[in-house]
Amino acid sequence: MITTTSLYDQLTSLYKEKRNDTESAWLSNLREDAFKAFTRNGFPTTKQEDWRFTNIAPFLKEDFLLHPGEASLHSSKKAGSIPQFDAHEIVLKNGMLNEDVTIPGISISPLRTALKDERFKSYLSKHIPLNAQPMAALNTAMFEHGIVIEADKNIIADKPIHVTYIYNAAEPVFVQPRLLIIANKSSKLQVVESLLIMGESPIFINSVTECYVAENAQADHYVLQVTPPNVRWVNFNQTIQSADSLYNNYTYTLPGGLLFRNNIHLDLNGTNTESHLYGLYLTGPGQLTDNHTCVNHLNPNCFSNELYKGVLMRDSRAVFNGKIFVQQDAQKTNAFQQNNNMLLSNNAIIDSKPQLEIFADDVKCSHGSTVGNFNDEALFYLKARGIGDVAARNLLVNAFAFDVTNKIQVPAVQEYVEKIITQKMAEAYD
Amino acid sequence: MLLDIKNLQASVENKQILKGINLQVNPGEVHAIMGPNGSGKSSLASVLTGRQNYEVTGGEVSFDGRDLLDMSPEDRAREGLFLAFQYPIEIPGVSNINFLRTALNEIRAYHNEPPIEAKEFLKLTREKQKLVEFDAKLTNRSLNEGFSGGEKKRNEIFQLAMLNPKLSILDETDSGLDIDALRIVSNGVNKLRSDKNAFIVITHYQRLLEYIVPDFVHVLYDGKIVKSGTKELALELEEKGYDWIKEPVTTASV
Amino acid sequence: MPNKSDDILEEYSNKEYEFGFVTDIEMEVAPKGLSEETIHFISAKKGEPQWLLDWRLKAYQSFLKQPEPHWQNFELPKVDFQDISYYAAPKSGAKYKSLDEVDPELIATFEKLGIPLSEQKILAGVAVDAVFDSVSVATTYKETLKEHGIIFCSISEAVKEHSELVQKYLGTVVPHSDNLYAALNAAVFSDGSFVYIPKGVRCPMELSTYFRINTENTGQFERTLIIADEGSYVSYLEGCTAPKRDENQLHAAVVELIAMENAEIKYSTVQNWYPGDKEGNGGIYNFVTKRGVCRGAHAKISWTQVETGSAITWKYPSVILQGDYSTGEFYSVAVTKNKQIADTGTKMFHIGKGTKSRIISKGISAGEGQNSYRGLVQVSAKAENARNFTQCDSLLIGDRCGAHTFPYIESKNSSATIEHEATTSKIGEDQIFYLNQRGIDTEKAVALIVNGYAKEVLNQLPMEFAVEAQKLLSISLEGSVG
Repeated sequence: MITTTSLYDQLTSLYKEKRNDTESAWLSNLREDAFKAFTRNGFPTTKQEDWRFTNIAPFLKEDFLLHPGEASLHSSKKAGSIPQFDAHEIVLKNGMLNEDVTIPGISISPLRTALKDERFKSYLSKHIPLNAQPMAALNTAMFEHGIVIEADKNIIADKPIHVTYIYNAAEPVFVQPRLLIIANKSSKLQVVESLLIMGESPIFINSVTECYVAENAQADHYVLQVTPPNVRWVNFNQTIQSADSLYNNYTYTLPGGLLFRNNIHLDLNGTNTESHLYGLYLTGPGQLTDNHTCVNHLNPNCFSNELYKGVLMRDSRAVFNGKIFVQQDAQKTNAFQQNNNMLLSNNAIIDSKPQLEIFADDVKCSHGSTVGNFNDEALFYLKARGIGDVAARNLLVNAFAFDVTNKIQVPAVQEYVEKIITQKMAEAYD
Repeated sequence: MLLDIKNLQASVENKQILKGINLQVNPGEVHAIMGPNGSGKSSLASVLTGRQNYEVTGGEVSFDGRDLLDMSPEDRAREGLFLAFQYPIEIPGVSNINFLRTALNEIRAYHNEPPIEAKEFLKLTREKQKLVEFDAKLTNRSLNEGFSGGEKKRNEIFQLAMLNPKLSILDETDSGLDIDALRIVSNGVNKLRSDKNAFIVITHYQRLLEYIVPDFVHVLYDGKIVKSGTKELALELEEKGYDWIKEPVTTASV
Repeated sequence: MPNKSDDILEEYSNKEYEFGFVTDIEMEVAPKGLSEETIHFISAKKGEPQWLLDWRLKAYQSFLKQPEPHWQNFELPKVDFQDISYYAAPKSGAKYKSLDEVDPELIATFEKLGIPLSEQKILAGVAVDAVFDSVSVATTYKETLKEHGIIFCSISEAVKEHSELVQKYLGTVVPHSDNLYAALNAAVFSDGSFVYIPKGVRCPMELSTYFRINTENTGQFERTLIIADEGSYVSYLEGCTAPKRDENQLHAAVVELIAMENAEIKYSTVQNWYPGDKEGNGGIYNFVTKRGVCRGAHAKISWTQVETGSAITWKYPSVILQGDYSTGEFYSVAVTKNKQIADTGTKMFHIGKGTKSRIISKGISAGEGQNSYRGLVQVSAKAENARNFTQCDSLLIGDRCGAHTFPYIESKNSSATIEHEATTSKIGEDQIFYLNQRGIDTEKAVALIVNGYAKEVLNQLPMEFAVEAQKLLSISLEGSVG
């Protein structure tokens, strides 16, 4: 438990100051519970099994600014940075939504405005295990900005919604964005999140996204972690699926920021759902990428499939911890999980822990995990055809990684991600 | 008489699926049962072999003079009732050959016969493999694991040959088979036909009956046999479809 | 049609644990409780040298400081260490000079367990050390082994007669401070087996220890130490049973294996401690620390275990792959039914270059049984070209049991190749019906499927025991499927 940093003190006193806020009662009660949950545990430490390999303590030592105001950000950016991406662009400057965005059938509103509506009581933090997740609890207690994206029932979004977070990190900042995605009955939604950082001081992002996929709805959710080295990012993603729904999560982490911790939690709350979790982590110098996924089969006849691939370069470190729970009522479950890793450097370290916990009997589950280097046979085959060593290796790594990127259903996003992979890999080799 | 079904009624999860079946099968006979999807063909096979979840709600079945419905599934098999499954299940880890020896010896023990000698078993296996053109390599593999559809069906007939039952029910053994596999399976069955055993061939298609020529053809519709005849009936069905059958049913059942 | 599931379950639940009888023999039992005096008492009983007493006392100190483990995914029952007696021996004397001196009741007991000790009846090709509660009562084939320079005796005897060897190796693989139960064992261990295979000797027969807990309110804390010197080979097997009792009994053993250059140790366990009744009353807590070290290049240690007994089994036979190109293997079948819990697996520490490990774990859960695989494959930065393959499968029978897998994979070397595969499946009604339809009854059908499933592990057992283990497996699961 870390409760001695100045950041901890700063946060607790800020929380107390704001007690006389004008929020509705249910929200301030929720915040109070969350705050208690956070202070009970403090910041997580490596003594906790879930954080065994990921020490965030060194990253909390900065003298953080907790409230980067909008005024400090001089950016004329109105759109994100993905080329040729035909999307509804939403830009959040230091967390704030400044312009009205109108998309037929889909409402986009600032979270604090939206939360005046009692209706959101049944969504916000409803499924997040606050006591077990101190960082998500901290966000819940103290988030300021964020947005709600809600698709009305039967609405099929004409194009993806691209949310770009722009932050000013001229000074060290600690930010806590929050996103709520609701795909109502039989709707279809694609959300792409990406980040733009101005300035080179450390920025610690503690984000929470909740995604509700209602009956027969579909949601595709992309999180593109393409960042400069001053980024440290702890991300908690909670998705709840109702019957007959489809959810795809794509979390791609590329070299840059020094710390990434993604928690992808998925509760299958209805029968006959389908879910895919795709993850790629390409880790560069000094980077730690930690993916903790948790798929919870609560109902019969659901299908979940998880594919996480990692390429570790230089002195980087990656952690994969994938849990699948199949609860007693979840008969006829099909749950699959695969984690493959390539270590390209002797200074890289991988910790992989796939985990199945099964309490139902009529299930088909499997997981696999591999750690390896280049397939010498394949390498030799390519060389025998006249391809040079570096080119051959690039070819193989791309083939390994593109296995995950080709699951991307938006061509512009796929192209963008693959281009960065190739570029980052070239940098890592020289 | 080998099989005597009288007014057999059965249900699954309280839904009536057999609504009074009458059928007699004598040694040496081949009966074909045809009918549209959902008419109860496979259910009849399941009820006769004692599959769980099928509840007999009325009627009686005697097999070789004994009350069939009173027996456990394995005893029905030991008495000489064989089902060639529509979807033969895969059982990883259990080799085909070990499975067959166990089955054969269990049946022998039931009839107070000693276990089969290893040499004799091997001889029998080789002989029957040839009969159904069953790839010898497959006998050492896990039961049906990774077999193609055709291999699975051939394995069913291979087992039939090995266990030498009195009455065999072929449940849509022809579905999904190409013409070569169909020919092999039918040839196997024809070679195994004798005046001591009998077959019930459940099928969707008249095609199979060109290879395995039935003595009788029955049409099952809505849980009842609505028409019986000779092999010409099958041809008629092929031409006219099942619609013309449906009419008399509703009147007959009133 | 007859629905058998309930009948069979009923019939099976009433099935008695075969080895649940009690031997009526006069015993000398130490008073309950654990203190420095207890340790002095045990050490004095055994006439031990000072160094061993000192070591025990140090272990006791670290036992007092050890926290209770908390990472397991079941509720650890509170063990009252003061409510256990730490020493129980047949009154007629500890170690016998010849079999004639052994109480006939004891010989009869082991005979009943299928372990004949008298010269006329001893098992061909297997040398047996029989341990009854706290002491070893007989070791067969001792002379034959002596001719090859092989030492096979109880550890108490080894302390007296091969003191330097014991002192040199004891606690070098599992230190006295390793964990709570290992520390307890080091403090109070009463007997166990000692094996030394000299350089270049291939042990001509299987060595085996048979453990029997008899007296109530006692714990069994045996300690086994096996040293295979350069280029030697030994295959060792342990078996165990205990009477049926309503209270839980603690079994906290330690096994240390040391394989020098080019040596190979094959260690097999068929564990059938009393599992408790169907309500979960009684049964053995089997908390065991087993670890081997491949000291030299090309050494090999292979663990095989068939775990069908005990209320709780908690053990991770591990291998430290120190020597270059050394090999570690772990083959396991663990069966849990009723309210049994098994949390077992292995740790493979790849330290040397070109080290290899292979893990095959097959869990079978029935009734309300819980089965966890917990394993660690660790590749250190210097373990160039290390290889690991792990396959861990779970088979579920019934809808109230659980299967869990917790594999930890940690690699610090880019040339390492690690593969882990896991599957979970069930014995389905459809499979049973298919076999029924071919004339095979449900019991046999389950046995057929389970033995097919566990074959890869059972094949690793010495011939003499593979058949036994196969039977044991079938018996353990009888009636679990409807």
